[in-house]
Amino acid sequence: MPIRTHQSAAGQVNSRIDNTVRTWISHIHVDRGIGRMLVLLVIAFALFAVLNPRVFMNPLNLQNIMVSAPEVGILAIAMTLAMLTGGIDLSLVSIANLTAITISTMYTGLVGSDPALAESLGGVIVLVGIAVGVLAGLINAFLISTVGITPILATLATMQIFNGIAIVWTGGKTLYGAPQALSAVGKSTVAGVPVLFLLFLVVAIVIGLLVNRTPFGRKTQLQGANPTAARFSGIRSASVLYGTYLTTGLLGGLAGVLFVTRNPTASADYGTSYVLLVIVIAVLGGTNPMGGFATVTGVVLATLVLQVVQSGFNAIRLSSYEYSIAQGVILIGVMVFDQLRFRRRTRYVASTQTRNIASMSNVGEDADETPDTAGADSVETK
Amino acid sequence: MAERNEAPVLEVRGIVKVFGGVTALDGVSMSLLPGRVHCLAGENGSGKSTLIKIISGVDTPDAGEILIDGEAMSGMTPARALRAGIQVIYQDFSLFPNLTVAENIVLPAAIASRKKLFNRARSRPGAQRIVDELGLTLDLDADVEKLSVADRQLTAICRALVQDARILFMDEPTTALTHSEVARLFGLVRKLQERGVAIVFVSHKLDEVLEVSHDITVLRSGQLVASGDAREYSVQSLTVAMTGRDVDTTRLVNDLGKRGAPLLEVSRLDLPGAFTDISFDLAPGEILGITGLLGSGRGEIVEALFGLLKPESGTVTVNGAALRPGSIRSSISAGIGYVPEDRLTQGLFLEKSIADNIIAGSLDSHARGKVVLSQKRIAETISTLFTRLRIKAPSVAAPVRSLSGGNAQRVVLAKWLATKPKILILNGPTVGVDVGSKNEILTILRDAAREGMGVIMISDDVPELVSICNRVLIVRRGSLVAEFDSEQIEAQRIQEVMAA
Ligand SMILES: Nc1ncnc2c1ncn2[C@@H]1O[C@H](COP(=O)(O)OP(=O)(O)OP(=O)(O)O)[C@@H](O)[C@H]1O
Ligand SMILES: [Mg+2]
Repeated sequence: MPIRTHQSAAGQVNSRIDNTVRTWISHIHVDRGIGRMLVLLVIAFALFAVLNPRVFMNPLNLQNIMVSAPEVGILAIAMTLAMLTGGIDLSLVSIANLTAITISTMYTGLVGSDPALAESLGGVIVLVGIAVGVLAGLINAFLISTVGITPILATLATMQIFNGIAIVWTGGKTLYGAPQALSAVGKSTVAGVPVLFLLFLVVAIVIGLLVNRTPFGRKTQLQGANPTAARFSGIRSASVLYGTYLTTGLLGGLAGVLFVTRNPTASADYGTSYVLLVIVIAVLGGTNPMGGFATVTGVVLATLVLQVVQSGFNAIRLSSYEYSIAQGVILIGVMVFDQLRFRRRTRYVASTQTRNIASMSNVGEDADETPDTAGADSVETK
Repeated sequence: MAERNEAPVLEVRGIVKVFGGVTALDGVSMSLLPGRVHCLAGENGSGKSTLIKIISGVDTPDAGEILIDGEAMSGMTPARALRAGIQVIYQDFSLFPNLTVAENIVLPAAIASRKKLFNRARSRPGAQRIVDELGLTLDLDADVEKLSVADRQLTAICRALVQDARILFMDEPTTALTHSEVARLFGLVRKLQERGVAIVFVSHKLDEVLEVSHDITVLRSGQLVASGDAREYSVQSLTVAMTGRDVDTTRLVNDLGKRGAPLLEVSRLDLPGAFTDISFDLAPGEILGITGLLGSGRGEIVEALFGLLKPESGTVTVNGAALRPGSIRSSISAGIGYVPEDRLTQGLFLEKSIADNIIAGSLDSHARGKVVLSQKRIAETISTLFTRLRIKAPSVAAPVRSLSGGNAQRVVLAKWLATKPKILILNGPTVGVDVGSKNEILTILRDAAREGMGVIMISDDVPELVSICNRVLIVRRGSLVAEFDSEQIEAQRIQEVMAA
C-alpha cells in the first residue's frame, strides 16, 4: 500500500520555482491569439512582397496601408470593448459618420461667412464632433443598461436611427469640406510613419492599459466572464456598461474625425462595409464574442493583417469582392484552427453534460466517436 | 444481500490520467459487485470525479483498462457507458439550465431510446413517478436555472434514477441536501441495491459514507491507498486513510473577552414569505452559526444582510451605521463579505485565472488613486492568499474551472479575505470540502476572527458548527427559535431543536 509522504522543504522550493515557470508558460499561452496574428501578418506580407514586389513594396503603398488602417482599427478596438462585456456595438460606423457630418457641416457653415474664423475654430469643431459620438454612446448605454435591451438589438436600432438622421441631414449627398489643419495632420509623417498611424497606436495603448491596468477594465472583463458572479463581487453592471458604451461612442467619434482627416468629405453611407469587418477583426484578434476575454494587441495585429491583404489584393489586381471572400476564408480558417486546438486541449474542461448528451444521440448506432488519446493536456481555456 | 464472491459487474485496472502535468490518477484499480454500495473516498483533488468520468466515458484514460462483465472495453464513450447501464449523478449536476425540471429528468432517457421527436407533455408522467418515489416536492415545470442548488441536485438525482441503471455513480449527491432528503435518498439507494444495482458513492460527509457503504476504496493524490470492507472503518480511521494524519475536530473557539459594542446589529428584520422578526447581533471576533432545515429561511436572512434581498422592514447596522436595504454595494462598503452557496455560478469566474478571481472583489482598493492598478500590490495580495489558503494548483494563472471543489472554495474565500472585510458571511462554506481542507478552512476562519473579523456561518454540518462557533442560532419557518451559547453548544441538542 503506497503512502505518500508530505512534501519536504526542498520539494516546496522546487515546486515554487516550478510555479513561476508555469506562470510564464501560461502567459505565453494567453498570448497565442497574438502569436497567430503575427504569423499571419508575416505570411501575408511576404506573400504579396513576392507576388508583386514593385507595387506592394512601394513606399507609397506601405504608407497607404498605415494611413487606412487607423480608422478601421479604432472601430475594431471599440467593437472589442463592447464584446468584452459580452455585448456588441453595431452602431459604431453610423456614429463615426454622424461625427464626420457634424464636423463638415459646422466647418462649411463657418467658412462661408469667415474662413479665418473657421480655421481657427478647427479644434472646437473637432471636439463638438467627438461630443456627438459620446452622446450617441450615452444613448446606447442608456438603452442597454438602464432600459435593459439586449446590446445587439439596442445598437441595431440606434444604428438605423443614427444612419437615418445622417441621411435626412445630408439629403443623401456627400458633404465637402473640413478644417484644413486636419488634412495637414493627415498628410504629415514622423520619421516616415504617418501621424495617423501613430495616433492609432496611442489609442491602442491607452485602451490596452484601460482594459488591463484599471479597476474599470478588469471589472469589464469580469462582467463579461460571469455577470452573476460579478454582481456578487460588488461590481455594478451599470457603471461597467455606461463606461463601455461611452468609450465606444468616443472611439466611434474619433474614427469619424479620421474619416474627414483622410478625405475632407462626409456622407451617410461611408464605410458601410466596416460594420461587419470590425467584428471579423475583433474576433480574429482573439476576442471571445461571449465576453470576458480580449487582447487589444491581437486586434491591432488583426487590423494590419486585413489591411495588408486588402492592399496586396490591389497590388495583384484582385477586386474588393475577392477581398471579401478572403476575409471570410481567413476568419473560417482561424476558427477551424482554434476548434482543432481547443478540442485537443480542453475536451475535459467543457461541461460534462454537453458531451454526454451530444454523444448520446449515437446510442444504438455504431457510430461511436473514437476517443482521443492525447496525453498530457495543458490547463488552459482560452 | 448479494453474495460476496459474485463476479464484478465493472472492474477498472491500472487507470492513469494526467492533466497537463498534474497526475490525477496514478494506476488505480477497483471492482464493483452487484448489490453493493462502494464508497470512493479521498481528499479534494484526489481523483474521485476523474475516475468516475473515465468510467462513464467523459474523460479518456492515458493508460489502464475498463472491464464490464469481465469484458474489456476499448475506448469507452458516454454512449457505450449508457448502453452498459451506467448512470452518473455528476458533481456539477450537468443539467440544461434552460430546460424545465421534467425535461431535464426525462430527456436523456428519451434520447437514449432513440426517439426522434420529444414530446413535452409526455415527459411529465415519467418525471412525476420518480419525484413521487423519492417523496420530493419539486416543481416539474420550473426552469432549472431558477432553482436553488438543492433543487438542482435533486433534479440531477432524479435524472439518474429514472433510468434503469445497473451501475450507478453518485458523485457527492448530498452536498446541498438536509437530513430528511438524504434519508429518503438512502432509502432508495437500499432499494436499488437490493435489486442488484452496483452503486458507487462519493461524499465528504464521512458518517454518511459509513452508514450506506459496504466496500471502501480510498484515493490519495491519485493513488489507491486503501480498500476493504466498510465495517472495518470508523470516521477517524477513514480520515487517517484519506489524509495520512489525524484531523482534530474537537471544539476550539476564540475567547471573546468582555462584550463591547456589537459590530453588527440586526433588528426586527421582516420579509414576508421568507422570515419574520429577526433580531441578533455579532461582536467583533465572534463566530456565529446559523442553522435550520432547508427552506427554513436561514439563507434568505443572510442574503438580506448582503443586500441580495430587500427586507420589508427592520434595520441592519454595522458599527452603528445603518445599511441601505437591498443594496449590495452598501453592504460591501460597510465591510460585509459574502461567500455564496452556489459557488460555481455566484462565487467564481470559472474561465478566469485564480489570480483574477482572488482580486475580483478588491480591485478598487488595489488601485492608486482609484485609477491605476498597482501590479505590485496585486501580486502581493494574490501570492499571500494563494499560499496562506494553500490553494492546490499548478500556478495562480490556472483557470478556476480546473480546480477541485475544495480548492475552488478556497479561491472564493481568498476573494473575500482580499477585501479585508469586517464581517464575513459564509453560506455552506465547507460543502463538498474534504475533512482535512474543512479543518483548514475552519482554522483560517478562526484566525481571521481572532484579528477582529466577525463571522456568520450558515451550515448543515452541526458538528462543524459545534467545533467553531461561539454561538449558534436556529431558524425554523422563518423565525429564530433558539440560541445556543458557548457552554450549551452540543450537537445532539442542536439537531433536536432543528427538527422539532
Ligand atoms: N479538467 C481538468 N483540467 C485540469 N486538471 C483537472 C481537470 N479535472 C481535474 N483536474 C485535476 O485532477 C485532480 C483530480 O481532480 P478530481 O476532480 O478528480 O478530484 P476529486 O477527488 O473529485 O475532488 P473533489 O472532492 O474536490 O471533488 C485535481 O488535481 C484537479 O485539479
Ligand atoms: Mg469530485
